[in-house]
Amino acid sequence: MISPLLNVTNLSKSYDNIVGCKNISMSLYPGEVLGIVGESGSGKTTLINCLSGNLEPDRGKIIFNINNKETDFLNISESEKRKFIRTDLAFVHQNPRDGLRLNVSAGGNIGEKLMSVGNRHYGNIRSLATKWMNKVEIDKNRIDDLPITFSGGMLQRLQIAKNLITSPNVIFMDEPTGGLDVSVQARVLDLVRSLVNELNLTVIIVSHDLAVIRLLADKMIVMKNGAVIESGLSDQVLEDPQQEYTQLLVSSVLHV
Amino acid sequence: MIEVKKVNKSFTLFNQNNAKITVFKNLNFKVEPGEIVALKGPSGVGKSSILKMIYGSYIIDKGAIIINNKNIATLSAQEILKLRKTSIGYVSQFLKVIPRISALDVIMEPLLNSGDNKNNAYKKSIKLLKDLNIEKNLWHLSPLTFSGGEQQRINIARGFIKDLPYLLLDEPTASLDSKNRDIIINLIKAKSNRGVSIIGIFHDEYSRKKLNVREIDLNIETKH
Repeated sequence: MISPLLNVTNLSKSYDNIVGCKNISMSLYPGEVLGIVGESGSGKTTLINCLSGNLEPDRGKIIFNINNKETDFLNISESEKRKFIRTDLAFVHQNPRDGLRLNVSAGGNIGEKLMSVGNRHYGNIRSLATKWMNKVEIDKNRIDDLPITFSGGMLQRLQIAKNLITSPNVIFMDEPTGGLDVSVQARVLDLVRSLVNELNLTVIIVSHDLAVIRLLADKMIVMKNGAVIESGLSDQVLEDPQQEYTQLLVSSVLHV
Repeated sequence: MIEVKKVNKSFTLFNQNNAKITVFKNLNFKVEPGEIVALKGPSGVGKSSILKMIYGSYIIDKGAIIINNKNIATLSAQEILKLRKTSIGYVSQFLKVIPRISALDVIMEPLLNSGDNKNNAYKKSIKLLKDLNIEKNLWHLSPLTFSGGEQQRINIARGFIKDLPYLLLDEPTASLDSKNRDIIINLIKAKSNRGVSIIGIFHDEYSRKKLNVREIDLNIETKH
């Protein structure tokens, strides 16, 4: 049996007296996509911010096990942590403007990420950037254009390219299709899905859209008031929810 | 072999006055390799529920469902995922696909996901599309625009493309004309001849006869 890539035990984070997330335990195996759902304020973003190193939790353990090397994420030095985040993790923000530098060319945004993990050869960086522009269906002739000239959907695809180009081991996505038009959403989802399959990515995705979770996630957790109230296979949680809140959530979805 | 042992299943609807619906009490049956079992009974009796319990989409209250010597009821999520990938094919009643993905890609996907190479997956999928009588000009289009019968055949192709020892079929021959129904029946037979254990819901007598199924009448099997 393979060991989990990520093991979280009793993770808690509060903001003064307000609970962000409490006693979260979960595990994720290589190649799995985990969906996190819950209403706003339920602690979804707090949780992935803790897991991705953007927030320091109050208590708990986060252990990454990558290529048989264990990293005790909350007990390593700041510099080791920075390096780990840079090379092994990636974070796709809901708003692509948070994950990109808008005054740097599209190719520059991608190249910068490559350089951060040690790539120095300009030609290689440019050809890899071109390859990834192609992969996320952005015309390669736009490589020298500034992202401010891109549409919302293109920006999101650029952000995805930037994050995936360094082959991170765990990718966090916070509502990656949240701010997009429905038609553009389908395209981005479709892209994420094909990349997940093709590259066997391990992903933690936050979304309030159950259809997105159903489409992308193998497993899911449902959060309420900072706690995980239900977890399991996505199809199981969505088709046979065991908790009152999950049933309410599932039955509230409109079917077109 | 699939073994369903003393299974109880109910649903509690918390948001509807905690209504409790009991679907099965003490459900028992076995499916041997190569056997085709047809679940029978009126709508609402729980035919699809059985397939979903075996596939792990529904949680059972009590009892065991044994596949490959493993009890689905006690497996972790990732163990069920693995078991599905290596052993269980499930053809749902309706095709669920996302826009923009071609019929060919929909069919190839299960093979690619288990690490088959692209060329091989392509060849197998093309063969199945031909066997299923899907016109060539549709192969590269999204099945969302297809007719009901065409969608159903794509769904079957996706479920049949891998050689898995267990198959769960939810109305695979519904909404097909007689010619295409016979094609599907022959594909199911071929699976059965290779030793696959099959549990299906077949709405028509014709399919059940042709497939020489063993019927399980849920009205008799489950004492409500």
